[in-house]
Amino acid sequence: MTVPTKIAARGPADDAMPDALAAPERPRRMRSRRVALALAGATILTLAACEDKKVDAEAFPDLESCLAAAKKDSLFFTADDCNKAFADAKKNWEETAPRYDSKAVCEEQHGVGNCGGDPVAQPGGGFSFMPLFMGYMLGSMLGRGGGVFSQPMIRNSANGYTTPNGDQSFASNRGTGKVAPSTFNRAPATIGKAPMSAAQVRQRGGFGSSATRGTGVTRSTGGARSYGG
Amino acid sequence: MQKITLPERAGWRDRAATLGFTFADMGGEPYWDETSAYRFTLEEIEQHIEAPAGELHALCRAAVERAITSEEWMERLAIPQTQRDFVAASWRAGEPELYGRFDLAWGASGQTHAKLLEYNADTPTSLYESASFQWLWLEEARAAGLLPPDADQFNSIHEALVDRWAEIAAPDTDVHFAADKENPEDYATVEALAWAAREAGLGAHFTDLSAIGVTEEGQFADSEDRVIGALFKLYPWEDMLRDDFAPYLAPSGCRFIEPPWKALVSNKGLLPLLWEMEPGHPNLLPAFFAADIEDALAGGAPAPQVAKAFAAAEGALRRGHVRKPIFSREGAGVTFVEGGQPTDTSPDQDYVHHPMIIQALAPLPSFDGFHPVLGAWMVGEACVGLGMREDRSRITQNLSRFKPHFIEG
Repeated sequence: MTVPTKIAARGPADDAMPDALAAPERPRRMRSRRVALALAGATILTLAACEDKKVDAEAFPDLESCLAAAKKDSLFFTADDCNKAFADAKKNWEETAPRYDSKAVCEEQHGVGNCGGDPVAQPGGGFSFMPLFMGYMLGSMLGRGGGVFSQPMIRNSANGYTTPNGDQSFASNRGTGKVAPSTFNRAPATIGKAPMSAAQVRQRGGFGSSATRGTGVTRSTGGARSYGG
Repeated sequence: MQKITLPERAGWRDRAATLGFTFADMGGEPYWDETSAYRFTLEEIEQHIEAPAGELHALCRAAVERAITSEEWMERLAIPQTQRDFVAASWRAGEPELYGRFDLAWGASGQTHAKLLEYNADTPTSLYESASFQWLWLEEARAAGLLPPDADQFNSIHEALVDRWAEIAAPDTDVHFAADKENPEDYATVEALAWAAREAGLGAHFTDLSAIGVTEEGQFADSEDRVIGALFKLYPWEDMLRDDFAPYLAPSGCRFIEPPWKALVSNKGLLPLLWEMEPGHPNLLPAFFAADIEDALAGGAPAPQVAKAFAAAEGALRRGHVRKPIFSREGAGVTFVEGGQPTDTSPDQDYVHHPMIIQALAPLPSFDGFHPVLGAWMVGEACVGLGMREDRSRITQNLSRFKPHFIEG
């Protein structure tokens, strides 16, 4: 995200004057030529809502449709990318798609008919269920120095499609669009672990208790003590 | 250094409100106060702030080197046993520092050298006031004819931060900024840093400190479940190292800014460490752990390892000293002792259960009944600006006033 120009300010007196005409300067100028002036204050949204730059993405239900598309010109991927991304996405699906201890729970999350058995044996010999591999999405990370990235797609309970961590949903597993680069962040591994619910973050709030403070007063309202100094 | 009475800029409070500077008044008292300002010569800035701050910074880096190779100092600085490797590894890996602030006493009559009161090496605030609002004050006061047209200010903080971010992080690195969103002062400080990060081509994302989570993989994640690869935290290392998530710090693979080794220098135990390394340094005040010299001040004997240094500093310490906990915020737990009697005590006693240090009293200058403390801003390893606060009390607290400064002559 670029810095909005309205927050940058310049000193009018200094920069308008060509150097040759400027009054004799002190040996050193000690201050910035520009600063960021505006604060968002209590409305923390400017930072929080600052979205990542979007990247080009294209989804395919299978390898064949990707290879067919790659024959066209001016796409960000080639047939080789299709093959590699497909293999990556399959592997990624196997390692990161959610696992459930019953088909019913899985279908509750991903829709009836969209789940199957786990192809990988559980460590204790148990059996779990996973949403089916429903295709894959390619993303152009070229501008970010990364080449072509991929994610497997699975169904969600709302008749749409998601990536394994479920935080991005799409109406279809076919088509092009712009998505946040974080779409291609790998979800946490589920392989070899006990079947779980969809929760990715297992615990929050482990920072902020100010352990070195004596009184243990809760900080929750305005006027709270600064953490800084 | 002189204090000059000045007219306030017309409408500055509205301007502050428009810019989001919501804490220009705090607790019914002015926080930003431009009814007067401090005037320096360039020579004063260079000789008494910039040069000593640069030297102190080099000394502090040497102190880190000393502490990480000494179990005894790790213990005295109260680095938890389980976190010592984590702290030391960050230093050995050369993890770069971003910013810090030295609080210096200078300007009292007869005091030729600025003295280090303490080093806010980890979570210094008042950055927005120093870097931005003070800068705006100078520009507008000059334009309004309140200051001479060639008045300057020791304040390249913003530009230095942009350059520093670009130096220490690859383009497009996503940096999360964690702070308490309920505290406007803390939030303004991270916002000022985040704007600089964006100007340097990095991605900046805010996350409330208490919303940080740990994933199944043991990585930290923000409130939107995005994994945190690099975290600027306006939250002290001494607490990070002890909070419930402390065991995840090292294995998380997260890059922390400031780096973990700042725990060694953002700790008031640094002051006795510096004095042990450089006794008599002109910019240092004699400082000891209370446990080593308390008996001696009461008429007994000092700990053997500091006996010589204590003897040399005893006169100064008896005239006056300050007791402070090794961990403390905003002047909490500070007591002044003069001629053997407590003369000033911070009302806030939240941190007094920590080990105490004793530091010889530096005379603070007094202007109209206010005592200014010089905040020398460091970005990377260079001193790049000044932010001043003054208080009626000699203990600078969270409601002390911020005072602008300018350079003339």
